Amino acid sequence: MALWIQITPGSDEPIYVQIVEQISEAIAKGELAVSDKLPAVRKLAAELVINPSTVARAYTILEQAGLVTTKTGSGTFVSDPRMRSKDASDVNVLAERMDTVIVRSLNLGLDADDILAMFRNRLAKFSKAKKEREK
Amino acid sequence: MSEMVLQTEGLTKYYGGKLALDHFTIRIPRGCICGFVGRNGSGKTTAIKLLLGFLNPTAGSSQVLGCNSQQLTPAIRQRIGYVSEGHRLIRWMTIAEIAKFQRAFFPGQWDIKLFWDMIEYFDLSKKQKIKYLSNGQRAQVSLALALAPNPELLIMDDPTLGLDAAIRRQFLEGMIGLIMWQGRTIFFSSHILGDVERVADRIVVLDKGVVRADCSLEQFRNAVKKVRCRFTGPILPKVNIDGLLHFRQSADELELVLVGTDDKEIADWAGSSGVVEYRAVNMNLEDQFIEYTAPAGRMKLFQWEEK
Repeated sequence: MALWIQITPGSDEPIYVQIVEQISEAIAKGELAVSDKLPAVRKLAAELVINPSTVARAYTILEQAGLVTTKTGSGTFVSDPRMRSKDASDVNVLAERMDTVIVRSLNLGLDADDILAMFRNRLAKFSKAKKEREK
Repeated sequence: MSEMVLQTEGLTKYYGGKLALDHFTIRIPRGCICGFVGRNGSGKTTAIKLLLGFLNPTAGSSQVLGCNSQQLTPAIRQRIGYVSEGHRLIRWMTIAEIAKFQRAFFPGQWDIKLFWDMIEYFDLSKKQKIKYLSNGQRAQVSLALALAPNPELLIMDDPTLGLDAAIRRQFLEGMIGLIMWQGRTIFFSSHILGDVERVADRIVVLDKGVVRADCSLEQFRNAVKKVRCRFTGPILPKVNIDGLLHFRQSADELELVLVGTDDKEIADWAGSSGVVEYRAVNMNLEDQFIEYTAPAGRMKLFQWEEK
């Protein structure tokens, strides 16, 4: 599996956050499918030339978020979305994040239709990648 | 508790009347890569030389691999790799001769294959004389010499100073390669914060001979914050908030640099101080280091006057 991760030291985002975000995005887009195996911690660390504990930290966060599961001795795998818990607080957090985008959009003079169109557009990028993979 | 590979207690060094290192106390656990950062002249090289017993302290003590720095036996030294600032190697030797010479200090643990693989990878050959090598090539030989004995503890004094990006990357790769071995520890000083962030999971910050931080890199990243606030009325003459390191103000804005202050404390302070709006300013490790080691009074020298 070719997992494309690009890290930028010197960014204001810590390296483990960069890894978490890129793997999360790859899962959302379906570039990483259910039960795909993530590279071993040490292998990814050597490839990216970063401390193995940074990779381990990123994997722990992904695991806590329910996106991956670690099986002792065999590795870390993308979990089944049906098995991921979605509690009310997660959904609330998302709703609040959307508020930030809505506020900025309205302040830029966009109306409700513009915002919805923009949202569909962005969403399409994710489902397109997923469909291509399923073919 | 994990075992400490480096441990110092109040280590102090005067050169004549000049204080170079002031009660330097650190604890470095086994298995980490620790970036040792500080501005030029902050005392990093002095600290490293004291750790290795190359200098005697004026006061205080230090232990390396459980042994007093002043009494390191050959058996302990054999477990330590050291790369000196500027990669000083014996100039008249060839690469083959220096390899043979160094190998004698590490009986039974010198990885010949690793050494020559690295030399070949660096496009060097055994007959080349050290004195005819470029700075970069000498650094490469020094890296191969440091890694060949597979040291339990590797101490490097600004190993990438003045090296090009490609050779710097080879040093980082070498460090990651070594840390993959069980129980290895690396302590290295550097001015390139991007490199420190890449490979280190611990950081020691030295400022004018004083240790200002000895913690995980993540803790340092989370602790140092910058907040920019706007006020309605006149700016407060005094800022009362825990963890305030220094602040700067312009016409209607106040910028705070905070250490270890959590978001709730900031919100509470803002709520009770007439702040209309505030936001956290994103900082990378280098920004954080500069803010953290900046004396409050001195910052003004760099402030541009508004016209």
